[in-house]
Amino acid sequence: MTISVRESGTAQVVEVEGDVDLGTSPNLRRTLFDLMNKTPKLAVNLQKVRYIDSSGIATLIEVLKSTQRLPMEFVLFGLSPAVQNAFRLTHVNRIFRIVDTEEQALTPA
Amino acid sequence: MSTQGAASTDFSIQVTFEMLSQACCLPIVRATVAQLAATVGWTESETRCITMAVDEALANVIRHAYHGRTDALIQMHCRAGEDQLEIRIRDTGDAPDISRICAREVGCDRIGGLGTHIIRDVMDTVSYESRQDGNWFTAVKRLRRQG
Repeated sequence: MTISVRESGTAQVVEVEGDVDLGTSPNLRRTLFDLMNKTPKLAVNLQKVRYIDSSGIATLIEVLKSTQRLPMEFVLFGLSPAVQNAFRLTHVNRIFRIVDTEEQALTPA
Repeated sequence: MSTQGAASTDFSIQVTFEMLSQACCLPIVRATVAQLAATVGWTESETRCITMAVDEALANVIRHAYHGRTDALIQMHCRAGEDQLEIRIRDTGDAPDISRICAREVGCDRIGGLGTHIIRDVMDTVSYESRQDGNWFTAVKRLRRQG
């Protein structure tokens, strides 16, 4: 799994690529928590995620719950078929703010 | 990993893994299970679900039976037949707490229990057995052919 972070206006956009699983999800968790408090908006691009397991989904839920206690927004966009599949299986779609494109993600909710 | 044609006519392919309890083994297993599921005849989406269920079962062993130890042994037997896939996983770690398995409410934002929910949701039959030779997880998925 590779992770890259860039700024877009006041938001931080996190690009995730590859497999998010038991071995790699701690890296994603570390990156997302490092960005907490540093931006009013955290947008995560999941378009190039080939696989995500329950530890990856749990990481995203954990980040979401932490951002809800802060004046910041957490949004997911560009869900790959693998991510859509995993979200459908675990019924977590309605928990997150999910949009199709980066442009939509960076638009205020 | 070993692969062989089965003596039984019920299963045409059998694959056995012996691996250490390390997360780096999981992508290899996922690739094999995905190939087996596709061979049996599941769609891409169904194959993804089956692969995820098996991956979650192995991750549970690493996390809960072995508590993150990386030097313990896991054995896994996959048997693919004309219309079903059977997965058996053996570990010698702590036995699973059956009373806590799949106690997760669907759609909630609680973090734990996601993996077990996936396994139960995807596979047709799932069982856990603690024996003298270790803990055995067995799951079967059957193909429902249309027409």
